[in-house]
Amino acid sequence: MEIVVCVKPVPDAETRLRATSDGTRLDPEGVKFVLAGYDESAVEQALLLKESIAGSRVHVVAFGPAPRTEEVLRATIALGADQATWVDSGADAGAEPVRAARAIAGAIASAPHDLVLCGKQANDDESGLVPAALGELLRVPEFSCVVDLRWDSATSRFRFQRPIETGVESWSAPAPLVVGLQQAWNDPRTAKLPAILKSRKAAIGKVAAASASSESRVVAERFELPPPRTGAKLIEYKTPEDAAQQLVRILREEAKVFP
Amino acid sequence: MTPNALVVGELHDGHLAASTLEVIGVARALAGGAVAGLVLGAGAKAAASEFGRFGVPEAYALDDPHLDAAPAGARAAPVAATAREVGASLLLTASTTAGRDLLGRLAVAWDAAVATGVTEATAFEGGVRVRRPVFGGRATETIRLEGSRVAIATRPHAFAAVAESPVPCVVHEVPAPVLSEAYTAPQRTGVAVTARGAGPSLTDASIVVSGGRGVRAPENFRLVEELAASLGAAVGASRAVTDAGWRPTSFQVGQTGRAVSPQLYIAVGISGAIQHIVGMVSSRVIVAINSDASAPIFRVADYGIVGDLFQIVPALTAEVRRVRGA
Repeated sequence: MEIVVCVKPVPDAETRLRATSDGTRLDPEGVKFVLAGYDESAVEQALLLKESIAGSRVHVVAFGPAPRTEEVLRATIALGADQATWVDSGADAGAEPVRAARAIAGAIASAPHDLVLCGKQANDDESGLVPAALGELLRVPEFSCVVDLRWDSATSRFRFQRPIETGVESWSAPAPLVVGLQQAWNDPRTAKLPAILKSRKAAIGKVAAASASSESRVVAERFELPPPRTGAKLIEYKTPEDAAQQLVRILREEAKVFP
Repeated sequence: MTPNALVVGELHDGHLAASTLEVIGVARALAGGAVAGLVLGAGAKAAASEFGRFGVPEAYALDDPHLDAAPAGARAAPVAATAREVGASLLLTASTTAGRDLLGRLAVAWDAAVATGVTEATAFEGGVRVRRPVFGGRATETIRLEGSRVAIATRPHAFAAVAESPVPCVVHEVPAPVLSEAYTAPQRTGVAVTARGAGPSLTDASIVVSGGRGVRAPENFRLVEELAASLGAAVGASRAVTDAGWRPTSFQVGQTGRAVSPQLYIAVGISGAIQHIVGMVSSRVIVAINSDASAPIFRVADYGIVGDLFQIVPALTAEVRRVRGA
């Protein structure tokens, strides 16, 4: 089985966010970029499927600027991916999700893909648009919020579940398929040191992003951080009952969140 | 931009969903021209006429039960065709799982500039300007969607539901799409409706009470549940709790679980790992109850009680019941 995993470099969750001096977007200066959280699960799920289906390959594809995109691709090689392709966004790092989907689709449309795995959303823009846009571009069905993704070799179909707002759906579907993954079977593995060292010399395929043909545009205008939270106002109390009465009074009269 | 707008509604128990009423309000504020509605799936025709109650004089219905059990992509072509028929330059839906799936498809199938999770939207000459929380609510971005086709998905609860203003509503039927084999091959083999108990669902709730490692044992989780029940709140949990199997993963609030932004979030016995914080920090008011005064949760909380949750939480439940007269 040919498994394509689409990943995105995003700022580490511990990173302090800051806007550029013109205030339009996140300032990438000094930011540590890592594999997006759901993408880590997608890579893990791809490797688990590869290990359970003989003759499978994992091809990881990412759209973005240097050097961060190449770095996260190298990290997936260290985890066990067979091939990595960097779709260069150029210096304009605007990773507008639909533009990313178009670039990735251009890079993988002619490559074999029985399963295209994405994280269900990236933890920077949280758009959740890439899996569906990829499905439309590749003309295959797409499923978001997928958990418990398995391959049933007896029927040659994937089986999976989707915990959505109204309940949990169970599905079966043949390849090819695009999946926005919510959770892998396991917590994502960590790379071993020899594999990390070896991945530094691994070849990363590089392709240029196709130029956009759409007349629609998405333009970043402002990136704002809320005023820092100053820390909790701690309630001084004598008894638990006293604490409870004070808190309920505050929530009703001061915060007005309680009828 | 040309002024017509199309609202793609969702059905809930055969009626327009609460989130759709919010979307109609946004559509009426943004559209310079006519607003039309569209609903798809079983019961669409009966529900479509409800658009008239909210001031929308024209509605489209694709009443096809097969769509409910088809992949989300099956809806893209009929939605795009309806948008063209009504001459829409703006399409709006709710930022739910189905809404986000639809917008990703329409970005391509309708060649539109799109944004999900929108919490503010204003029209300008040439497009729509939207604000949306990013990085789990740690930042907000403002983006311009430019072009003659714009589609936005509005975050549930971010906008007020439209008031009733009944008008006569003409309902047009939309022909069912002819699906290629790729879209008929997937089969939905089951649907387990979430056991909601008495409370609201985690992502819909205006109050969420979550428990963490500090509750110490699965049987103690009832303290969290009783407080939630007294408030009419949904119950959440930290990753420590779901990893330990005390509650299913569907309860998990955080980076790898659900992101919530209720009016009030009460964290009980949760230390506040960044993993958890990013899933709840955009809540309007945050209360933390924890025995450790140095726990990071107190840095993001608005109000804190440092103390033994086994004493504080039952007292709080009793106080809430007392003031609510229950």
